[in-house]
Order: sequence, then structure tokens, then C-alpha cells
Amino acid sequence: MPPTQDPFYAGLGQAVRIGTELLAALIVGGGLGWVTDTYLLGTGPWGMVVGLILGAAAGVRNAYRMAQRWPQR
Amino acid sequence: MEESPLHPFELHNYVPISLGGLDISINKAVIMMWVVVGLISVLMVMAGSARRLVPGKLQSLAEMMVDFIRGIILDTMGKDGMRFFPLIATLFLFILFCNLIGLIPGSYTVTSQIVVTAVFACVVYGLSLVMGFLLHGAKFLGILVPPGTPGWLLPLMVPIELISQLARPISLAVRLFANMTAGHVILGVLFGLAISGGVLIGWLPFAFTIAMNGLEVGIAFIQAYIFTVLTCVYLGDAFHLHGHDDHAH
Repeated sequence: MPPTQDPFYAGLGQAVRIGTELLAALIVGGGLGWVTDTYLLGTGPWGMVVGLILGAAAGVRNAYRMAQRWPQR
Repeated sequence: MEESPLHPFELHNYVPISLGGLDISINKAVIMMWVVVGLISVLMVMAGSARRLVPGKLQSLAEMMVDFIRGIILDTMGKDGMRFFPLIATLFLFILFCNLIGLIPGSYTVTSQIVVTAVFACVVYGLSLVMGFLLHGAKFLGILVPPGTPGWLLPLMVPIELISQLARPISLAVRLFANMTAGHVILGVLFGLAISGGVLIGWLPFAFTIAMNGLEVGIAFIQAYIFTVLTCVYLGDAFHLHGHDDHAH
């Protein structure tokens, strides 16, 4: 499989991976907060605010973990 | 040409079938999946039938692929992971062939449907959860507590870890879907420009279309590779429970 060995494509793959990681955690955090707000507790905007903040933290954590794991060449 | 760049992703039923209210009609995506499965099967059976000591072209290609997947598994999961080889090899080959065949003009990219990628991601993530609870029991919940967390940080870290766990299947599904869809939208827009531009200026976007197609071949490989690596990482997490981070880097 030549393309994945190429440093250009390896870097591209890493960049794409980390980008989606940030986005996905934000979606989950905000989504959980929104569900708590609208269906479970009815706590105004605060569930979503807290959810988004936690989601951002989780996204950064995921991205950090992913970058740590990437094999060094 | 007044056509939406998203038009190629629409699916129309060729053979409408309804089973107890469930829509299992046959459309282009279903046919492409059959084509992909058939192609992989035929290629692999043909490559494996000769079994020569000095492999021919097809056999060495198949051996290269198997060796590549084996390398990924050993790198991320270690020896225990080899029992997942059939699953991971199937995922890799299916996604790779879907991505590559989708680049042939006129065909269809199955992986540009989020339903397909989401099902893959849910199966992988569900399997990692089942494996984790089978192997470690309730101790598997310890995956929500990163090693070395002071006690007063727990109310903050557990929700963050929970979200970052739940984000895994979503990022897995969205990444593959978004990359394939975006690539094909760009190709569609550029080609639309080339057609509406005429001979005088149209050659420029057309050249870009060709260049992008080359890049997309690379993306097809990368996305299949990333999906496979992350599958291995998630399954490996279920195996090792923190133990892995020590020798990962």
C-alpha cells in the first residue's frame, strides 16, 4: 500500500483524523446537553452550555491522545 | 448544466421491495455493494488458488495486503488482536474497494452514505464494549477514569471521558462519510465548471478535476487505513485497559 507510507498522505491523514475528533466530541457534548435541557430536566440553556464546554474538553483530550499515539517516523 | 452537486448521492429504487413495512428495495448502493463483495471474493479466491512458493502478480498483491493488515493489528493490538483478523481485514478491504470503485465515473460510492459508515462504526464500537465487559467485567468502567487522576478531579474527568468515549463511533462514522462525500462534491463542482466554461477557460477546472481525482485515490486509501487503525485501537483499548498507553510511544 504505497500511499499510506508517503509522509504527505500520512500527515494529511493525521490532520483529518484530529479535525473530526474535535467535531465529534462537540456534537456529542452539545447533543447530550440539549437532550438534558429539552427532555429530561428542562434546565434552560445551562445543560447545553455545560455540555458544549465538556464536549470541547473531551475533543481536545481525544485529539491529544490521538496525537500521542501516532507512530513517530 | 443546472444540476445540484449533491444530485449524484440521491438513490432511486430499481426494484422496490417492502418486507413487513421495512423498505429493503434494491438501489444503486445495494448493487455496488454486491459488486464490491463479488470483486473482493473473486480476486482473493483467484489469488489464493495458485499457492505458489514464488507468488505471481495477483498472489503477491494479496499477500502484501494481508501482511499490511497484519502489521496494523500487531502494531496497535499486539498478538491478542490476531483473533480479530478476519473482521478487520474484511472491513479494510470492503471500505477500500468501495472508495476506489466509487472513483470510477458513473459508479457509486457506497461509503458516501452515512448509514453505511454509521453501521460499521456502531458494530466496531459495540464489539469493543462487549469485549471489554466480557474480559474485565465491571472493572471495564475504569476506562472512564484516566490513570493518575486525583480524586477531586473525578466529577470533572468522568463526564469528559464519557463524552470522549461516546464521540468515538460518531467520529469514526462521520470521518469516512464526510471525506468521501466532500471529495465527490468537489469533483462534481469542478467538472460542472469545466463543462460550463467551454473550451476557452474550461480546461483549467478540467485539469483540476484530474488532479483532484489523483488526490482522491490517496484519500480512498487513507480513509480505509484510518478506519482500520481506529478499529484496532478501540478494540485494543477494550483488551488492555490503560495498559496500552505505556508502550505506545
